[in-house]
Amino acid sequence: MMPILSMIVLIPLIFAALALFTKTKEQARVVALAGTVIVLLLTVYMYFNFDSTIADNQFEELAQWVPSLGITYHLGVDGIAMPLILLNAIVLPLLVLFTWNDDRKSPNKFYALILATEGAVIGVFTALDFFLFYVFWELTLIPLFFMVSIWGGPNKHKAAIKFFIYTHVASLVMLLGIFGLYFAAWDMTGTPSLDIPYLINQFQFIGSGLTKDMIFLALLFGFIVKIPSFPFHSWLPDAYTEAPTAGSVLFVMLKIGGYGLFKVMLPMLPFTASPNLMITIMAVLGSVSVLYGAFLALSQKDLKRMVAYSSVSHMGYVTLGAAGLVSLSVSGAMFQQFSHGLIMSIMFMSCGVINSTTGTRIINDLGGLAQKMPKLTVIMVLTFMASLGLPGLTGFIAEVSVLAGSFVNLPMYVIIALLAIVITAAYHLWALQRAMFGVYNAKLGTVTDINVFQTFSMGVIAILILYFGLHPTPVFDMMMTNSEHIVSLMATMGV
Amino acid sequence: MDIMLLAPELAIVVTGLAVLLIGLFLPTDSKKVLGYLASLGVLVALALTVSSLGTEATLFNNTVTIDALSQFFKIVFLVVSLLFAIAGIKYTEGHSNTEEFYALGLFATIGMMFVASANDLMLLFVAFELASLATYALAGFEKKNAKSLEAAMKYFIIGSLSAALMLLGISYVYGATGTTSIPDIAANSGVLVSSPMGIVAVVLLLAGFGFKIALVPFHMWAPDTYQGSPSVVSALLAAGSKKMGIVAALKVFVVALIALKADWQIAFAILAVITMTYGNVVALKQTSVKRMLAYSSLAQAGYITMAFVVLTPMALGGGIFYALSHGFMKAGAFIATAAVGYMVLSENKDSADPDHIDNFRGLGKRMPITALCMTIFVFALAGIPLTAGYMSKFVLFSSTIQSGFVWLAVIAILNSAISLGYYAKIVKYMYFLPTDSEKVSEPFPYTLAMIIAAVGVLVLGFWSEPFIHWAMEAASVLITGGM
Repeated sequence: MMPILSMIVLIPLIFAALALFTKTKEQARVVALAGTVIVLLLTVYMYFNFDSTIADNQFEELAQWVPSLGITYHLGVDGIAMPLILLNAIVLPLLVLFTWNDDRKSPNKFYALILATEGAVIGVFTALDFFLFYVFWELTLIPLFFMVSIWGGPNKHKAAIKFFIYTHVASLVMLLGIFGLYFAAWDMTGTPSLDIPYLINQFQFIGSGLTKDMIFLALLFGFIVKIPSFPFHSWLPDAYTEAPTAGSVLFVMLKIGGYGLFKVMLPMLPFTASPNLMITIMAVLGSVSVLYGAFLALSQKDLKRMVAYSSVSHMGYVTLGAAGLVSLSVSGAMFQQFSHGLIMSIMFMSCGVINSTTGTRIINDLGGLAQKMPKLTVIMVLTFMASLGLPGLTGFIAEVSVLAGSFVNLPMYVIIALLAIVITAAYHLWALQRAMFGVYNAKLGTVTDINVFQTFSMGVIAILILYFGLHPTPVFDMMMTNSEHIVSLMATMGV
Repeated sequence: MDIMLLAPELAIVVTGLAVLLIGLFLPTDSKKVLGYLASLGVLVALALTVSSLGTEATLFNNTVTIDALSQFFKIVFLVVSLLFAIAGIKYTEGHSNTEEFYALGLFATIGMMFVASANDLMLLFVAFELASLATYALAGFEKKNAKSLEAAMKYFIIGSLSAALMLLGISYVYGATGTTSIPDIAANSGVLVSSPMGIVAVVLLLAGFGFKIALVPFHMWAPDTYQGSPSVVSALLAAGSKKMGIVAALKVFVVALIALKADWQIAFAILAVITMTYGNVVALKQTSVKRMLAYSSLAQAGYITMAFVVLTPMALGGGIFYALSHGFMKAGAFIATAAVGYMVLSENKDSADPDHIDNFRGLGKRMPITALCMTIFVFALAGIPLTAGYMSKFVLFSSTIQSGFVWLAVIAILNSAISLGYYAKIVKYMYFLPTDSEKVSEPFPYTLAMIIAAVGVLVLGFWSEPFIHWAMEAASVLITGGM
């Protein structure tokens, strides 16, 4: 059988190198489209050959790399990773199409960075060896850093550095956690190994409770900052807002923090010395993020900044659902990642379009855009509704599963999060009303609607939001299988 | 005694003398051939060393030993020397003193190689001085360049002082134990432990080696010397001569004076922390790339010094592996600055600051190969995954955590995070800042040397298993030798 996982990781990286050598925008975008479409086709093939009834890793590839340190080349996907790979594979070609007619400096580097990010992110989702995992984890940082610092807004340098330092320090703490786990297991068994499933399994046999908690917290910190969750979210609004539209969409595709939570943290959670404390930490961070992010979003003047803060709020559901620890809340949290990826892509694309045609993103300076931009308005309204949780769209399914599921174990925190629902509806509708409807603000000059490429890419994503909102099973089933597996682990430990 | 055991050393000596002699009879414009000859000689020595891997022997009444450790470091020195020789072909072009340049470089190499195989403090000291004297002269090779002369003078004065301190330390050790043979000192070190002489000797030796390895606060000479010397020579100093200090310190402290571990272990810990932090923080605001690399070199020495604190086979192996990686990364980076300096000077003869970071603007367009190689080197120095630098840090830092020095590892990891700041700056200048200057042709010898170094960096990063294994073997020589 062909090594399909290696291919979906390497093809974007190879095409990134190819894109670097192109001379014109026309060549660069074709290379980027070709690379992302090949990945999409392979991923679709993989999806249809994926068995969503088992929680095991599939399409595994294993080769020795540095045996004396226990480093292997080990790839595989399970029901946690598969939907996220699918999300990346679907959105990235559409993102390339979205930017098809844009004029910017150094298009070759621009498309190379998009492709490199895709390869690195899919690498994180497929790696089953901590060494490889960390390599890809760090690799996601570099293209995004350059993306912000080259094509970003007026405060790009500050935003890029802040993002870089914040998440780099977090990954180093995570690295310490990985080392702790690695050596604890090495001491017990006498053989080094960095294999992720193996180390997660060994975690329960570590003798010292303190060691276990330290390892758990170090890893948790690394993931929580990437998600990001309150109080480590302050890099996000700057980075998301200053990044160019494509960069913001790539940030949204970067679901590696939540992925780590499900893949690494939850299976280890029942074996920590104080699981209830860990659950409380995650529940507090999650519910506070939901509420606090919503309040911050409400007070923003800049549309893109509002969307960025709404992202903090929505990602709070992921942490909360993970802490909920019943299969409904965990799979709801996984689905929230998927849904959030789709919704936010359109949100940021809309902000980008509005900014480039009107020259401003300040909500009060806009007004009545619906008259001039009907196509954009249709798509935007649908997405805003999805984002605030209208039934029939993806956001609803994710948030209801999280809230209903978590209520079993964490009623107090769910109530905190519930308060946010009203505020969420408020800032979405208020922004929509001020920016898109009402009287057209004549000072904006000539405003043009989205072009055919933009309509296509945003339209396809909008259709997917509707489709998965009405019929989530294609991805929800595999998430459910994996969350049931995780929850059954908890049950054996009586958590 | 089998003289073939010394074949690599002999090859270097013969080449050095031959270069010196032939150079006398050649007109200046055909002296290029000396560079090829020297490179060939080093290549032969390298081949001879590689072919004799696994040999274990002692020679000359136990003063010279050939084992995994000495072989490993000999290869480090020969690799650096090879890069030096190849890059030198371009550097010495049209220079009337070409033969001296190569002869001194080769003699420095031979000194380093004997330090690696010394089993006796007298031989170690003499070899150390041979290498040092040759490099003092090399640092001042540009006789009409005030900076180069300053570099050489500073290096010479401080180097002599450190040699004196070292010799004094050795004499204390000799006075107490009655021998200069390293294994015999280890066997008799009980005398040193019970007498205050032991402490005095440790302090003196620590200062002596501290100067050579450029540990803070014995580092004052290093930035000036690395900046002022010709870049190709800086490569030899930072990548070769510094490793000589490390292998000598390994032999003296970890083998001979292991009984005094309690006295020097904590000292090394403090020196390591100060050195890496100072090096990284000061490097952040340098505008001269060579000076930045000099400070980064301090920081790297700080990391390697962690091996002296942890002292497990894995940590020592990690330190030794790091020495090899650093040889490639640092030599490569300095040669890249040499190439840029050459470009700047060929455009404008009176350029005051050929190594200023502004000259790296738009290098990705002007000198694509140099820029790509430099990117690989600085990313490796920063410890970006899949390069030699990352694997070295991985082994060294993780062994530090394994032995319970978590605080030391945390400081080292934070330092790596800081260091990314200035390494990324170089990359930013090369690829992201605009320039209106034209593309220039890249001088072939520099390019060749850089490509060899870059391939080395990548091979060590991707296919590390045999090298790590080999470094561990070298480390086991230290451990068993000391027991």
